[in-house]
Amino acid sequence: MGKTLFEKIWESHIVVEKQNGPSLIYIDRHLIHEVTSPQAFDGLRMNKRKVRRPDLTIATMDHNVPTNNRSLPILDQTSAVQIQTLEKNCKDFGIKLFDINSPNQGIVHVIGPQLGITLPGTTIVCGDSHTSTHGAFGTLAFGIGTSEVEHVLTSQTLWLEKPKPFEIRVDGKRKNPHAVTAKDIVLSIIKNIGTSGGAGTVIEYCGQGITDLSMEQRMTICNMSIEAGARAGLITPDEKTFDYLRNREYTPKNYESLVDNWKEQLKTDNDAKFEKQFTLNIDDIAPQVSWGTNPGMTCDVTESIPSPEEFSKGDANQKKGAEKALDYMDLKPGIPITDIKIDRVFIGSCTNARLEDLIEASKVVKGQKISTNVRAMVVPGSQMVKKQAEDIGLDKIFINANFEWREAGCSMCLGMNPDILSPGERCASTSNRNFEGRQGTGGRTHLVSPVMAAAAAIEGHFVDVREMDLS
Amino acid sequence: MKGNIIKYAQDNIDTDVIIPGQYLKVHDYAELATHAMEGLDPDFHSKVKEGDFILSGRNFGCGSSREHAPIALSHSGIKAVLALSFARIFYRNAVDGAFLLPIEIDEDAYGGISEGDEIDIDISTNEIKNITKNQTYKMKPFSEIIGKIISAGGLFKYKPDKD
Repeated sequence: MGKTLFEKIWESHIVVEKQNGPSLIYIDRHLIHEVTSPQAFDGLRMNKRKVRRPDLTIATMDHNVPTNNRSLPILDQTSAVQIQTLEKNCKDFGIKLFDINSPNQGIVHVIGPQLGITLPGTTIVCGDSHTSTHGAFGTLAFGIGTSEVEHVLTSQTLWLEKPKPFEIRVDGKRKNPHAVTAKDIVLSIIKNIGTSGGAGTVIEYCGQGITDLSMEQRMTICNMSIEAGARAGLITPDEKTFDYLRNREYTPKNYESLVDNWKEQLKTDNDAKFEKQFTLNIDDIAPQVSWGTNPGMTCDVTESIPSPEEFSKGDANQKKGAEKALDYMDLKPGIPITDIKIDRVFIGSCTNARLEDLIEASKVVKGQKISTNVRAMVVPGSQMVKKQAEDIGLDKIFINANFEWREAGCSMCLGMNPDILSPGERCASTSNRNFEGRQGTGGRTHLVSPVMAAAAAIEGHFVDVREMDLS
Repeated sequence: MKGNIIKYAQDNIDTDVIIPGQYLKVHDYAELATHAMEGLDPDFHSKVKEGDFILSGRNFGCGSSREHAPIALSHSGIKAVLALSFARIFYRNAVDGAFLLPIEIDEDAYGGISEGDEIDIDISTNEIKNITKNQTYKMKPFSEIIGKIISAGGLFKYKPDKD
């Protein structure tokens, strides 16, 4: 029987395999950041252990770094301590760090691919659930907790139970690819399979709807695999993948011979078996807007807020969840999505803060001003994205429209730095989670694409971007 | 292992409500514990007692990879979370650091056990006794590796068998 891409990568990384049990899996790259690593380093010191492969470990600071003027000291003392601790740990253990002043600093999942650290057919882990992003390159990549971070630091391996392969086929062609984006595809998938639909699996995305996407768009898809409960997301690498990674700062010297091997080895066999399958046709999908408090609570921009009965389809817990979500979000069934007024707009995060995201959003913003009732910010995914955007004048487009143009970091995606919502504020956000309090206590999050967020900033409420000229 | 139930009859309790992001900077576990479940139940800290269990629905612990989530619950006194299903990273974090036991239950247990019930969990027989109601339910047995990490007392105490 043939094998899936996931199974091939898994098998090529087995160090020890137990009969019907877990496998010890080799980890090719370990990305670390300031929030989930300090206790792991404490553990190493306590047990007098070293980092086994500092050369395969890369660090940056992204979760709690301020996104305003970086020449000023960090006011939040606990954040400052966490940042200084990472600096000390990297120095003590010989780990490469892209610190707050580095031109390579940024969200860990944005800088990995940008620097050519993320490579097809490899394994990557990071103490962050959105590590699934790197799967866009045919990389088996997943998030781990701090104990596992310590295990990888000390052994470069992990004990893992083998997830099941899950095929998600995306067929069809979007009529307006500027208005209906990768974010809308992945939100549609989660809306259909639910937030635990991918539990225990690694998702392989395939079909024309996926191969048509650019690498940055594919990252948006794989990024949100975790929101469907999956371990990881994977896309078979192709010429777009190989072109993207060519000539990056850390691209291996023998790159072309690696590409030859990848072309031959990194694909799912025709007769491979998947444990689970799901197909989505995207010919006619609309821009998506989340209305509730998990990413599965999402509908088309043309729809109205569903009633808990409609949404739950008879499931008591789902109904209760929807009632609670509507209460938290201060919304009522039947309200058209386009009637929902917003207070804040956040264009950022590892889901949607790469250069293409900012270019697409800028088309909506150019020559316009944001609504007087809205406060809006753009937080580029990395300092490199920021510079590239400034080189083509995007900063001016956003600033002239009264957007705030910030330094790179996770920012208002998770509310660890000063960029947070006030209680009751409603935000159109390009991030990945609309959980209660995610963007600040009492804050209300609607997940959307960058163009949808930009249009909401201009109009002060959600609009169907298919009605705008985005070419 | 005996304890009393704190029940959250809902699905998808995420790590952001278990421990909101603003507290991920807190290094002191006792202080972290004072913010456990703050996003969902501001009374949690005042009502939780050492040895209590949480009972909840599907996909418990979804979201972030923050190990702070099981740590905050554990240092609040929670010894086990009983749920219809768990998000994978939370599940492994709970076990790896020996913070608490993630127990997968069925609909009988989920519906049968109420807030405040006294429960006795026996992981050697995979049985859950409801002492208050005099009922018995089955729990899903741990997989081999998870069982061994639990018996060892965490990932770093686990030594694989030679075979």
